[in-house]
Amino acid sequence: MRRHHVRRNRFLLGFVIALGFVLSGAIGTVAYFMPAIVTAFQDTGHTIIRDLPTPTPGASASAAPRASASAVPTAEAAPGQPFTVLLLGSDNDAKFGGTVLTQSMILARVNPKTRQVVMESIPRDLWVPLSSGGSAKIDAAYLHGGASASVATVEENFGIHIDHYAWIGLLGLVNLINQVGGVDVVATNPVMDDFYPADLSGKDPYAYERVAVLPGPQHMTGMQALMYVRSRHGDLRSDFGRSQRQQQVLLALRAKAKLLGIADLPDIATAMANDFSTDMSISEIASLLPIASSVQLQNVKQVILASPYTVPGEKINESVLLPNWNLILPETHQYFPAV
Amino acid sequence: MRRAVSVIVLLALMAGFGFGVNRLIASRKHKIPTEATVFIPSATRPKIVLPGTLYLAQNGDIYRLSNGYFTDLHLSTKSGSWMQPAYIPNSQNIVAVLRAAEYSNLYLLSGSGAILRQLSNNSNPHIDKVYLNNWMFYPHIGADGTTVYFSYDEPKNSTTLAVDFSVWSGTLSGKLANKLLTNSNPFTGGDVDPTPLANGSVLYSKFAIANGNAYSEIAIQVKPLAKPIVLTTPAQDCGQPAPSPDGTRVAMICIGGTGLQSTRLEVATMSNGKLGTPTTLVNNCLCADPVWAPDGSGLVYYNTADVTGHFELWWIKGALTVAPSPPLLVTTNLDFDASSPPSWSPLSSVPVMSR
Repeated sequence: MRRHHVRRNRFLLGFVIALGFVLSGAIGTVAYFMPAIVTAFQDTGHTIIRDLPTPTPGASASAAPRASASAVPTAEAAPGQPFTVLLLGSDNDAKFGGTVLTQSMILARVNPKTRQVVMESIPRDLWVPLSSGGSAKIDAAYLHGGASASVATVEENFGIHIDHYAWIGLLGLVNLINQVGGVDVVATNPVMDDFYPADLSGKDPYAYERVAVLPGPQHMTGMQALMYVRSRHGDLRSDFGRSQRQQQVLLALRAKAKLLGIADLPDIATAMANDFSTDMSISEIASLLPIASSVQLQNVKQVILASPYTVPGEKINESVLLPNWNLILPETHQYFPAV
Repeated sequence: MRRAVSVIVLLALMAGFGFGVNRLIASRKHKIPTEATVFIPSATRPKIVLPGTLYLAQNGDIYRLSNGYFTDLHLSTKSGSWMQPAYIPNSQNIVAVLRAAEYSNLYLLSGSGAILRQLSNNSNPHIDKVYLNNWMFYPHIGADGTTVYFSYDEPKNSTTLAVDFSVWSGTLSGKLANKLLTNSNPFTGGDVDPTPLANGSVLYSKFAIANGNAYSEIAIQVKPLAKPIVLTTPAQDCGQPAPSPDGTRVAMICIGGTGLQSTRLEVATMSNGKLGTPTTLVNNCLCADPVWAPDGSGLVYYNTADVTGHFELWWIKGALTVAPSPPLLVTTNLDFDASSPPSWSPLSSVPVMSR
């Protein structure tokens, strides 16, 4: 009886010691991933609110055909099935009193099975009815309701369903690129701009600085890449040139994703803290990494909605782009299923 | 007492185990080399000894490669980054660009890095009017050793936002921006990479935008402001032309059909203002800035050696021949400035000058 007692005590002691080591290892692991965990709580898993007021049809002369836009929650794509992500990029300085416009909107359709990706840039000056009411440039959707309003506005005007969104601020992009050691970009032409906003490098958010990105292959830091994708004054294509360059840098980042693994998540999370948000969970983001790294360039379709999809116009004394929905919708629905 | 010591030792072991797990995961991080992991050229030896003297730029400084050794010119980077060195024929001196945040200037330097003269003054004191500053890039010196060809963002009109490079020429001893040679296409970035040819024409990259795409064409400017002779098509999207020393070939970097994520190094024959069918020397690369050896024995160019994206120097022997040798990596662990073409002087040794 006593021997049995001793044996049981030894077993318990061994169990406690083993548990102690397991707990210690777990604490070491949690400590390592703490920045990623904090980011996961703060920046990921946001909910898209889809029950925003529906814009008044015909509020704009160029209103889109109402393609049964979804104002109610729609089922997300099942794992492994193609899904659509709205990528949003915006300034996040105090220039607009704490509110922000999206400088970049890219619809991405990802097919995990075929490893095919379609990227369609939505011009920021596109004049559309906003999901929050009234009509404005589409970049103002974020201003009037954040990512949810941007998602709803795109869904309603383009007649598609968006499964997820990911928003990144300017500093977040700069830090992300720096974190992966820069990107290799083939600059398409000299990108020249005498009126590039000095809002990140100077004290005066309204000041300008000069940009001259020389053409050809080069290794860019985060700040250099930002200048390349953000500048638009010296380009005949204005925002369309910028859209093309944004897609180009996204693809260059994809190449760098090949170098990354789960152990890199804390550093990336730290780099992008407060400058990133998404409705995807951290595990969904982690599952995207291998897809991003395995997509071949020939399987990436890039769409820019330049003329004749859009034409320059004027609304409320503002230069805008008027959509030709009769061309945009068939083009979009080739790659993004209509709802 | 013994039990207490055992508990303390066990707790210490557990803490050590937890720390070990933490460091083990950290060791699985992918090592993405940063600037800190890159050597300065003068701390390395190239794998191949190349003829003459090459001038190259890395991290804001200029290095000389001669007789198998790099020499650091030790240029001060306090006022900006040094780049785009250009040797002066029959001289030990070079011209180089000093790039500051809002402007860039050309300087005359000795082969050992002493600043002999500032050739331009493109800075403007009105800090609230940054558009009054100017850029000057891509200097090349003519065979006479005094005529300078370069890209300059003049003329520009601050009210139209147009900032485009045009090709200008001038002299080292006289007026630098003396003659406007090309009419650049507005809002495209303009004309860059001017290289003088033996017949007095200038070979350069002319940027244009059509059908929503920016592209480069290789062009020859025979007379100032005349209509240029265009040698390549928009679909080829070729730039960075480098004429061979005998003037019969042009090496160039082409982007057409690559999805804007890679380039090709091509060589084509050139005669009577026309290019022959190009031969691709390297495909699906990030090749940049080809430059011929002064004796025509081959050419060097920049390309990345791996996915880290750091540009190394590569060499192709016999690039003029029908069957050139495969590319050879000349340097390792360096990170040359790929927007700064190397310059290759036939002079193989440069005397050390006191500074």
